[in-house]
Amino acid sequence: MSAENRFTLQPKRRFEETVAAIGLVVRRSDSLAITAVIVISYLTVFLWVIGDLAFRPDVTANLIVVDDPLNRMFLRTGPASFEAVALLDTGVVRLLLSPINVALGLLVASLVGINLGLTYLATVQPAACGIGAGSGLLASVPALLSGTVCCGPVVLIALGIQASGLLLTMFAWLLPLGIGLLLVSLIYVAGTIDVIGETT
Amino acid sequence: MRDGQQINGLSRRHVIRTAGSVGLAALAGCLNRSDAFGRGADEDTSVGEPPIADRSLPEEYTTDELEDASLSGGPGQDGIPAIDEPQFISAETPPTNLADGDPVFGVELNGESKAYPQYILVWHEVVNDRLGGESVAVTYCPLTGTAQGFSRGDGEFGVSGRLINSNLVMFDRGTETWWPQILARGIRGPHEGAYLEEVQVTWTTWERWRKQHPETVVLTEETGHIRDYGADPYGGYNPRSGYYENENTLFSPLATDDRFPAKEVVVGARNADGSMAVPKATLRERVVVDGTMSDVPYVTVYDEKLDTGYVYRNPDTESVESDGGDITVDGDEYDADALPLEREIAFDAMWFAWYGYYPSTEVHE
Repeated sequence: MSAENRFTLQPKRRFEETVAAIGLVVRRSDSLAITAVIVISYLTVFLWVIGDLAFRPDVTANLIVVDDPLNRMFLRTGPASFEAVALLDTGVVRLLLSPINVALGLLVASLVGINLGLTYLATVQPAACGIGAGSGLLASVPALLSGTVCCGPVVLIALGIQASGLLLTMFAWLLPLGIGLLLVSLIYVAGTIDVIGETT
Repeated sequence: MRDGQQINGLSRRHVIRTAGSVGLAALAGCLNRSDAFGRGADEDTSVGEPPIADRSLPEEYTTDELEDASLSGGPGQDGIPAIDEPQFISAETPPTNLADGDPVFGVELNGESKAYPQYILVWHEVVNDRLGGESVAVTYCPLTGTAQGFSRGDGEFGVSGRLINSNLVMFDRGTETWWPQILARGIRGPHEGAYLEEVQVTWTTWERWRKQHPETVVLTEETGHIRDYGADPYGGYNPRSGYYENENTLFSPLATDDRFPAKEVVVGARNADGSMAVPKATLRERVVVDGTMSDVPYVTVYDEKLDTGYVYRNPDTESVESDGGDITVDGDEYDADALPLEREIAFDAMWFAWYGYYPSTEVHE
């Protein structure tokens, strides 16, 4: 594929390129390792930021499960956060297990991981010069800011920013916005990789 | 109790503050649709209604103004789950997360005493309970520092997810009327314009409450919900830190006044005569503070044992004085909570929140 038509709007071709590039990330051990580390790291940070993971070395190991977890797991605690159905104290960390939050976190973490895995490939196997490698990293930020606590977005409390109705509405959209940005970034970065060069 | 969780000296709030500074700067554009994700869980519960009080309180804003000022804090209706089946334990074996200096909200009703730890209520805001043979709701708003009790009859209260003047807006599950906590007044629904009956709640510390009420029981972490009890998403009270200490408010107050710092604690009272506030620091220092509401004399006295204040209507201008611990009324000694005067419901509140709702408040110093 030539560099000239690489960024033209050809949905079918871009989709095929993206799938091929993701396949390449998974096949290569170096990019797969990077992706796996990023997924685990991002998921850990995501759960910590939304309050589902805490460092609790002073608490004895324990497991608590709520009644009726299958129904409770779908109850919302915020615009895009859901009830925890179990609490696991390991003696080091405390995990509030919210299956939906974990699934959402895993989705975002996977997108971030693949983005950065592709970015790595783009630097070692570029199809063109001068590509931007930071889009996936930047796109990973909004989802981290989406957490709300009892009375509002935790980031606003941390920053001491006064919330307007408009800002609160924006926060409700942060998670889907983040996912959208990561998908756009994924397609963009995938187009910067010389997938064919890998097989020749 | 700790002020949030630390990881290698790095708190979650600190990290979020740093990431947020970068992230918010990077974010551009706004979305103008609300309720993108719907609301919290709506449970089909068949419950009654709270009793309506025959009372009058100051109304400085119309219902429309209050409704227009309401904002969604994020969680939907019941997204912050009230505690509907509270479990208690004796004072001898309190929850391990409860330290002597931690705030509790104490209620004594018909000879029965209960303590509700702030560190638990910060995650729930409402407890539907029975106390002294009566059904009550003990409520707490972290953003305004207000702990108030309400009679609930056959009804149950929940957290609406809306905030006005940074203050919790409750709803009753029987009629879904909105009830802003500090105002105790319905603003939307079948009970619009009606008032709730209130129950006195005392903001004190666990050690103080336990010593004055050794027979007390205390709410446990067995709430039926999974939360990170022991952590406080806003800051800490023992010692005071974060949101509870700084000047920042999450939402713009309805009205502002800079006589005191935003988070300065005042003892507030309001009734048909008007509204009044006594800075708690002044009360600690002077023990007895006189003032008026609509030219009617009032006196506020300090109870050192509980670090709280009691507000009394004093229409005959009885002489109330402090005598090194005891309070004398016309020369006779009384306990601070038992003066021979008409006692009003009073509660601690952050100054910005009290003034926001009651800009005509009298300040007694």
